[in-house]
Amino acid sequence: MAATRSAFAAPLSSPTSSLRRPPHALRLITIFPSARAPNLRASSPDSFHVFSRFIGPRASYASVDTGNGSSVSIDEEFDFDLITIGAGSGGVRASRFAANLGAKVGVIELPFSTISSDQTGGLGGTCVIRGCVPKKLLVYGSKFTHDFEESRGFGWSFESEPKHDWATLIAQKNAELRRLLGVYKNILTNAGVTIIEGRGKVVDKHTVEVNGKKYTAKHILVAVGGRAVVPDIPGRELAITSDEALDLPSQPEKIAIVGAGYIALEFAGIFNGLGSEVHVFVRGNKILRGYDEEIRDFLADQMTLRGINFHFEESPLSIEKSSDGHLSLKTNKGTLHGFSHVMFGTGRKPNTKNLGLEEAGVALDEIGAIVVDDYSKTNVDSIWAVGDVTNRVNLTPVALMEGGSFAKTVFGGQDTKPDHVNVATAIFSQPPVGSVGLTEDEAIDEYGDVDVYTTNFRPMKATLSGLPDRTFMKIVVDVKTDKVIGVHLCGDDSPEITQGLSIAVNAGVTKSQFDSTVGIHPTAAEELVTMRTPTRKIRKKDTKVPEAVVGS
Amino acid sequence: MARKMLVDGEDGTEIAYDYDLFTIGAGSGGVRASRMSASHGAKVAICELPFHPISSDKLGGCGGTCVIRGCVPKKILVYGASFRGEFEDSKNFGWDVHGDITFDWKRLIENKTKEITRLNGVYKRILSGAGVTLYEGAGKIIDPHTVEVELTTGETNRFTARHILIATGSRAAKLNIPGKELAITSDNALSLEEFPRRSVIVGGGYIAVEFAGIYNGMGSKVDLFYRKEAPLRGFDDEMRDVVAKNLEGRAINLHPKTNIVKIERVEGGLKAYTDKGQEIETDVVLMAVGRKPNTNGLNLSAVGVELLKDGAVKVNEYSQTNIPSIWAVGDVTNRINLTPVALMEGTCLAKTLFGGQKMKPDYENVPCAVFCIPPLSVVGMSEQEAIAKAKNDILVFTSSFTPMKNTVSGRQEKTIMKLIVDAETQVVLGAAMCGPDAPEIMQGIAVALKCNATKAQLDATVGIHPSAAEEFVTMRTATRRVSPDGQLKSI
Repeated sequence: MAATRSAFAAPLSSPTSSLRRPPHALRLITIFPSARAPNLRASSPDSFHVFSRFIGPRASYASVDTGNGSSVSIDEEFDFDLITIGAGSGGVRASRFAANLGAKVGVIELPFSTISSDQTGGLGGTCVIRGCVPKKLLVYGSKFTHDFEESRGFGWSFESEPKHDWATLIAQKNAELRRLLGVYKNILTNAGVTIIEGRGKVVDKHTVEVNGKKYTAKHILVAVGGRAVVPDIPGRELAITSDEALDLPSQPEKIAIVGAGYIALEFAGIFNGLGSEVHVFVRGNKILRGYDEEIRDFLADQMTLRGINFHFEESPLSIEKSSDGHLSLKTNKGTLHGFSHVMFGTGRKPNTKNLGLEEAGVALDEIGAIVVDDYSKTNVDSIWAVGDVTNRVNLTPVALMEGGSFAKTVFGGQDTKPDHVNVATAIFSQPPVGSVGLTEDEAIDEYGDVDVYTTNFRPMKATLSGLPDRTFMKIVVDVKTDKVIGVHLCGDDSPEITQGLSIAVNAGVTKSQFDSTVGIHPTAAEELVTMRTPTRKIRKKDTKVPEAVVGS
Repeated sequence: MARKMLVDGEDGTEIAYDYDLFTIGAGSGGVRASRMSASHGAKVAICELPFHPISSDKLGGCGGTCVIRGCVPKKILVYGASFRGEFEDSKNFGWDVHGDITFDWKRLIENKTKEITRLNGVYKRILSGAGVTLYEGAGKIIDPHTVEVELTTGETNRFTARHILIATGSRAAKLNIPGKELAITSDNALSLEEFPRRSVIVGGGYIAVEFAGIYNGMGSKVDLFYRKEAPLRGFDDEMRDVVAKNLEGRAINLHPKTNIVKIERVEGGLKAYTDKGQEIETDVVLMAVGRKPNTNGLNLSAVGVELLKDGAVKVNEYSQTNIPSIWAVGDVTNRINLTPVALMEGTCLAKTLFGGQKMKPDYENVPCAVFCIPPLSVVGMSEQEAIAKAKNDILVFTSSFTPMKNTVSGRQEKTIMKLIVDAETQVVLGAAMCGPDAPEIMQGIAVALKCNATKAQLDATVGIHPSAAEEFVTMRTATRRVSPDGQLKSI
């Protein structure tokens, strides 16, 4: 991969020297730093720290920002070693790591808003502002309903029904987001990364423009993420996406959620838990395409038992607002009335519009994702991309991995490919799903001879609560090697349980090693190490008709 | 009474026994060994005392300690007690619980007893389903191949067996102090008629801290007394301090290095006296000071079965006693006293005796959990143990963070995680966590340790976001490096 090695990394001879600037930099003249930190106001509380870094050992290689947008460089011909567009999970990780490795880094991000657009964004990106974090906080908030219900079987009573106040939840959520925003800002400034607020656009392979000002960089990293899409149907402007759903002024009384992916299902759980009437519209006959078939069925059953209404093979054709302010949803099967909200959880698209990418010659795929190689490099040598904008595996920890690998490759002198195999995933539906490795069908396609172990049980908590909650677990084993190649869980704590298993699966764990692990009693997770008899043994010759194991 | 007589042809002599295996005690280990033996084709009988939540020489029940007066009812009560924290946490998430929330101990105990009675039935069905004959009554050993059962019907029956398995478990012990008869043990604590408004708990082991959490969560004022500086001797020192801090943070009164020396009945309750001159009025004194193997009344000394000093049955690595036809599994052997370990021992025994495969239980990297609130779970070595056994330097990775739920709930409780790594081989030697879901999280980590996962493999694993468990794969920088002689070294 020497071809993709950057000029920056090339002269470095050892891993330790990669932590410092190239020796030739030392002969450069020290220049008063305030002139060279773009957009860095001396009055900003963060600037002192940044300056002190520049004045330190690294000060000697500075270039001069002439203040009119064009830069003069004494040794380096660029303002920055790296400019990152987008300070979400991938962008922040890449920028911070690059700075830690000695690079001079600027990161461009839009001003903060809970709703993203071409003009608004915020440090932290989707994950922190309108994804993982607020979503999980709302999941926590909504799950208490279930706790209240469960508690009755354990002897607790309420003088009157607990009531929920949406405004409190949203205010608390936003307070936490603001705190995290500050954390992200500190992370960047402490690493010596210059934050530039505005909309970054690629001008050419080494130039980025923000607010009419141009900055040059040896490397440009595009990490602008993705955004929710709304299908082009009449009345689409009446609908909301997950952005708005996380920051609504009031709680929906009755909501139509279109889509059956993880976002749609998570919001179905949130609103259902808080007492909204929830209808989920699914294009096909099953939810959660791409997941293990049994998980798909099991989760739909469990969500239905908790009061969610699924409308299978029913797609929206149009949305109308009636005189009383309610929304009607016309579908291929009829019209449903009386919704306070219609939400689309129908997928996300990379944010590659109007970024100047096409002009710079960066190749995009048919859905607009940036095409990158194994090292996250685009077809333009100096332009790289990580995270959702590349539409590989769209998860925060994957973006972190890609960002970290990018920094190591370009500034650490160590070519590092992010590894997208066996990435564990979770769905924070209620109950949640955890999954790592291949689904049963994928395993059969790939390996042919597969043993499948399943269990479907009533968790201990449900035996006293009397609620119909169940837990489903599946282990998929490659018969030839005895390796565990897939684990799929649905039930309380599934995401937490899955993490440790994913370590084992990554380390090539065998089913015998699962079996030799002593259980932790009483837990749900112990079931995973006590599944002794395969539910199905699938062999190449009869892949079409799985043989049920007699007596299992 | 035997369906068919079995023939022992090993040494050429033909001896007919009523059973291939006779098991005394239908707890976790006994049921597992019996059921598995039967599935290997052996003819098996088992005897167990009649069901009762409180155990004695005359009372027990199928399912044993775990199901009737251990893991299961304890966890049910922990669930019950944890709801208080949930109610508190719900407020900042926008929930308004109007008026009073009340807790009805009797309802919980009734529901708990219903559940363990159901499980008792499940265990009986498991046995009959496997073709194991169950005798209700007290068993004792007459000779290396004969068991006598004093049936609840009043009659006494003798059965011969090629192998006898002792799986009688253990029972809570009490301190020998004046007024000890006024104290209760965990057996009673799971079935009290009245909920104690005030409780004194004596002991620093896992049972003591679990009950401290249970009673406290249900609204009792709890005073916990233990001999050492920190509770949970044997666990990682850092984690012991975390547990103590959490107990205190949840308003449990800790009395380290303090013993109860006397208990008296006073008007309106009991009074406990400490060796520091304190007097504490309370409704119950719960002694959780350890458990003793149930080897009395089995006639073991007469038959010549060797016992250890603590009364445990002495066994070799295949669970065999000094008498070749007599075996023992579970708490009665006082190895690692955990249900899943007893299950493992039972399974191995059945394989060894009837499965045609000699099999030793594997005590490496046995994970365990303490269901205090929030819980602690560990697998592998503690830091102290790792240093003591180390050949190479040890890297210690620690993480202390506010769980996401607490960022909104405002609960001042951190989750602590720890990894112990061999600095040379990079193999993970131990993991520990104290915080919500720790036991569920640790199970997968335990699987990873079974396949000798290295720190590099943990680092290469992508996190599940947002979870607590993802911290285990994102601890990049060691907190300290310790040499085998216990010296801190620069990282």
